[in-house]
Amino acid sequence: MIVDRRVLPHLDWPLLAAVTALTAIGLATIYSVTWNIAADAPGSEFWRQMYAVPVGLVALAFCLLIDYRTLAQRSALIYLALIAALIGVLFFGVVVKGARRWIDLGFGSLQPSEFARIGVALVLAMWYGDGRRNGRSLADLTWGAVVIGLPAMLIFLQPDLGTAATLVPVYLGIVYLAGLRLKWVGIGLLVLVLLSPAIWTWGLQDYQKGRVITFLNPELDPRGNGWQQIQAKVTVGSGGLFGKGFRQGTQGAYRFLPEAHNDFVFAVLAEEHGFFGVIVVLGLYLFVILRSLEAAKLAKDRVGAFLVVGIVSWFAFQVVYNITMQAGLAPVKGLTLPLMSYGGSSLVATLAGFGLILNVRMRRFTN
Amino acid sequence: MLNPGAYEDRQNLQVRLVGFRVGIVVLFLLLAVAFWMLQVLQYQRYRERAENNHMRTIELRAPRGVLFDRHGEVLVQNRRAFRIAVVREQSATVLDDVLTRLSAVTGVDEAAVRALVKRRMSEPAFMPIPVIENASDAQVAAVMARALELPGVVVEQVPTRSYPADGLAAHLFGYVGEAQPSQLTDDILLGAIVGQAGVERVYDNLLRGENGNRLLVVNSRGREIEELQHEEPVDGKRVQLTIDADLQRALEEAFHINGFNGSGMFLDPRNGEILAMASVPSYDPNEFAVGMENAKWQALIGDPLKPLRNRTVQGTYAPGSTFKIVMAMAALEEGVITPDTSFHCAGSKTIYGNSFACNKPGGHGRVNLRQALQYSCNVYFYTLGEKLAVDTIHKWADRLGLVGRTGVDVPGEDESVIPSEAWKRQRFNERWYPGDTISVAIGQGYVTVTPVAQARMIAAIANGGTLITPHVIRAVDQGAGWQSVPTHTTVPPVSLNPEMLAAVRDGLWLAVDSGTARRAKLDGYDIAGKTGTAQVISLDAAKALAGRTTRDLRHHGWFVFFAPKDNPEVAGVVFVEHGASSGAATPIVRHVMDTYFAKKEGRPLPKLAPPAPKIPVTTPGDQQR
Repeated sequence: MIVDRRVLPHLDWPLLAAVTALTAIGLATIYSVTWNIAADAPGSEFWRQMYAVPVGLVALAFCLLIDYRTLAQRSALIYLALIAALIGVLFFGVVVKGARRWIDLGFGSLQPSEFARIGVALVLAMWYGDGRRNGRSLADLTWGAVVIGLPAMLIFLQPDLGTAATLVPVYLGIVYLAGLRLKWVGIGLLVLVLLSPAIWTWGLQDYQKGRVITFLNPELDPRGNGWQQIQAKVTVGSGGLFGKGFRQGTQGAYRFLPEAHNDFVFAVLAEEHGFFGVIVVLGLYLFVILRSLEAAKLAKDRVGAFLVVGIVSWFAFQVVYNITMQAGLAPVKGLTLPLMSYGGSSLVATLAGFGLILNVRMRRFTN
Repeated sequence: MLNPGAYEDRQNLQVRLVGFRVGIVVLFLLLAVAFWMLQVLQYQRYRERAENNHMRTIELRAPRGVLFDRHGEVLVQNRRAFRIAVVREQSATVLDDVLTRLSAVTGVDEAAVRALVKRRMSEPAFMPIPVIENASDAQVAAVMARALELPGVVVEQVPTRSYPADGLAAHLFGYVGEAQPSQLTDDILLGAIVGQAGVERVYDNLLRGENGNRLLVVNSRGREIEELQHEEPVDGKRVQLTIDADLQRALEEAFHINGFNGSGMFLDPRNGEILAMASVPSYDPNEFAVGMENAKWQALIGDPLKPLRNRTVQGTYAPGSTFKIVMAMAALEEGVITPDTSFHCAGSKTIYGNSFACNKPGGHGRVNLRQALQYSCNVYFYTLGEKLAVDTIHKWADRLGLVGRTGVDVPGEDESVIPSEAWKRQRFNERWYPGDTISVAIGQGYVTVTPVAQARMIAAIANGGTLITPHVIRAVDQGAGWQSVPTHTTVPPVSLNPEMLAAVRDGLWLAVDSGTARRAKLDGYDIAGKTGTAQVISLDAAKALAGRTTRDLRHHGWFVFFAPKDNPEVAGVVFVEHGASSGAATPIVRHVMDTYFAKKEGRPLPKLAPPAPKIPVTTPGDQQR
């Protein structure tokens, strides 16, 4: 059974509407900031993002219509395919700015790491949900860590520390829900603190160290890493209460703020629409997250609840981190704002994730 | 779902979900507060910051490395060119008027200026937009005098590449231009000037240098308030080429005075150093250095004579009779003939039922190898073609450096092809016919070679069998004086039998002394060489087309040579397009050789007599082949 027509009336329209609204706001912001004055037309990034929308909606529909339990039961297979793709990209990927992240498909390129979170969420949901493991024994915790560790390592090798790091919240969210004891959280933090000198010395690339140092003292490097952080604050702050208006921003449009259509799309929104716009978008994101958590609450079984929480954890982590970064309160990291930032693969993967969340809620009454 | 403990389990789960929700709401509230502080409480501060966002980087372009010839003569250097640019931010609301006035005082097309500025509107407003590259002194003076009426118009000095005015060695030097998207790296940023052809391209890493910059804080009117950073540019490395400027000029002059297009390369057969390298027609690299107008560029790439093509390395042609050198070496080394083996030439020879004509209709009579080379007797070499398998010929052509690429350090080299049985099977899926070998024996048929490969071949004959890699770089100054560039890798020497080699060299000397290449003869100097013809189309096709096409159907002429015969120190190739006779290339070589020896002996350099006598056009029938 793929689609049972009886489940469709239970589709969560408000959640779908909020997700669509955020996507549309993202598109409008990209439209504004990439506007090419010479051509009197939006930049090519806008059109590329536009093309990703229908693809994303198809992915959403796909993840919605197939029963999530069917997918969860095949999660091992999905996981293996994901690992294969991540290994493949290391060998056959296209090198852009020194990293191999994309596979060239001829008609476009695909970033397999963006889909890693969904694969990992399915496997972990199946493991902790169906297997009735509770996340209290060290063995259970370790196994889950291995599941995310393998793809995280492969993504780290690309290198793409930011995307690799987003696998961690999927794991933490699920084991938290499974009953993780606070004792383990304490031990984990302690280990992290003890290991941090080693990570600093061997684990981080120079540019990553630079970002951390700059975060702590942006004025040290007002042109390089610090530039982005300073300019992000200037961009946001100069927006004021109601903003400079659509396509009236100067910080992004005149390239004072690098990556304005990408990692810093929220700053552009804050500049053009002010605190008012920020509150609207923050409200939408909060609504999306809370509404999704409701799907976890209503879920018919543990697999569904865990799956939803895995996806929401990643989504929430990335949203919160990215927006914190816009306010100059977190180190500049190549982490996009889900649904709004430029990036086709990211949009498609995020919409696919919401397909699964809607899926769980829609099938809450079925057997 | 009603397993024991399910209810309790569900309770537990709900509690944790509530915890999750509470955490999220708190985080979002904190974010809202943070944005409140930034956007509402600190609004004034950041608004001013944005308005005064006038940090400005001014790039200081590094002069590229100077190129010298082998005797230290400066070939390519840099000059200070003036560039007039507009800083939009400073022109602000009067930008429109400024552009109108600027075009009026400098006499440039206003529409073009507007288009230029409009194209770069999406760049930061503080970045200068270059409007007039390479501005004249008068334009600079006009702008300076009206500085007050032209806010935002600035005059910048930029080092610009300066090539010899007469387009000397244009293909060798190549040209520079803005980096293409595919050329961008960590060191090469958008708008950087990099080598796009020739030496400029191959040795770009040495020549490029490092741009410097000034980081300025300026106020809202564009006035410089503070310099935050100043990095001086680092000049590109000085590079010495193997070229001899006098020989280079002599070679190009000889082409022009004789009125031919084509190419030529002179090198030292002992080490592969290229002394002169020319491709005609040429272009002026200076036009690239100041940024070429699109119309000019279109005209250059659309020109049917293809002036941008470096004919010494790009373009393959049938070697014609010059290939007889390879045939002679192959037959001698394989023991098929001795230098004294003679055959009778009756003016043609029937092989496998077909008649093959000699270049002399009446026949040469009885000729030995030396005479066969001297008079370029086709029948003699048809006979060798009968006796040698094509794969043996291929082997010897390969040993003498005529197969594939030479590895010369000039970009775009084409591949030379000498057929073999395997090659024909692979290429045409057809077996090799013995008749094919007869065409190959006189350098026709499937044989196609580049001039640079011919130069390597004749150098191997001159130096006793070593395959040199032709190259143009001699030394680099890394900051501590000239350091010679390590000799390029050479393939191990071919052991050529000295007696056999002597016979071939004799034949080549006879050809210049009293044979087909007489017009290259320079009294007192033993030049040896061999002429050849590359057919543009077959003779039959030419007859069929007679008077029906405006295409130039005259044959191309080759001349490969070295001197002095017994202790060669200079060798090379000249290829003349549509020279009609294979002898067309010989006077060019004669003049360059004359210059070479005059310079060596300290005599005044020879002047080439104005327009050489019209070359008698031979009828196709007695073409040398």
